[in-house]
Amino acid sequence: MGFEKFLFYVFALITLWAAGMVITRKNPVHSVLFLVLAFVSSAALWLLLEAEFLGIVLVLVYVGAVMVLFLFVIMMLDIDIATLRAGFIRYLPIGILITAVMAVEIFLIVGPSNFGLEAFPAPEPAAADASNAADLGRVLYTLYLYPVEIAAVILLVAIVAAIRLTLRRRPETKFVDPSRQVRVKKGPRRIRLVKMAAEVAVPAAVSSAQPGVEENS
Amino acid sequence: MIDNYLPILIFILVGILVGVGPLVIGYLLGPRRPDSEKDSPYECGFEAFETARLKFDVRYYLVAILFIVFDLEIAFLFPWALVLQELGIYAFWAMVVFLGILVVGFIYEWKKGALEWE
Repeated sequence: MGFEKFLFYVFALITLWAAGMVITRKNPVHSVLFLVLAFVSSAALWLLLEAEFLGIVLVLVYVGAVMVLFLFVIMMLDIDIATLRAGFIRYLPIGILITAVMAVEIFLIVGPSNFGLEAFPAPEPAAADASNAADLGRVLYTLYLYPVEIAAVILLVAIVAAIRLTLRRRPETKFVDPSRQVRVKKGPRRIRLVKMAAEVAVPAAVSSAQPGVEENS
Repeated sequence: MIDNYLPILIFILVGILVGVGPLVIGYLLGPRRPDSEKDSPYECGFEAFETARLKFDVRYYLVAILFIVFDLEIAFLFPWALVLQELGIYAFWAMVVFLGILVVGFIYEWKKGALEWE
């Protein structure tokens, strides 16, 4: 238990530090990379809570996919840090006021009286062969089947919305269609042989001129 | 259960050590004599033409968001695969419906040409 507690504090400190770096870095790309670190250490915290499937999915989905999306979005937007930072001192008092109000609200709702071992006794440690993912699957595909299907519909909406919003046709770009390229067969359809009369030889007098110029004239 | 993850923790620690160790050793032992010419940015020996922060095309965003959707679909498949034997045909058809809804989206994006990179 002592080692687990030590690990919890290590990962909690890494998470807090990385989260702090996310909001203080000047370069938004650095912020995203620190957010990745925060997600990875939160995944470790979830593993310590024996929520192994959630921890792995956090790495798989958030670090593997969502953060890539964040990076693309940040590189897509041309963020000007100087204009974002302008008026920092001017808006500081109202920012501090709102932060204080929110902190007090959070403290009132989820204050220390709601926590502690009296409110939530520590659960029994899971057996060595217990599978968190299988437990999840057992309730997900029986009790919570309807929400799962709703999740599929939400994903469908996400696909359609993303395509409607961002799909752009570029008829002017030149590119090779690989599927047409590999379907090319040898034979009469590929090369067309044209019969034409023999050309008259060019006189040798223009040999000093450049070949390209000669053809154009 | 948590004990099963101890080898992974050791693996991560060794990985960090292997990754960070050479950098630290190089930083401590390597000679550093910087001057303004050495520290100035250049492209293949030339002065930098423009900033390296180019704007990305919106198409990358589309590819990333389509990837996220199907990544999440995979995340739903893992617990299903673990309990399929137990729950039997009921869970099978549940997943067929789930995948069927997403295949509609897949056909849509295929027909729309969102997977083409022209």
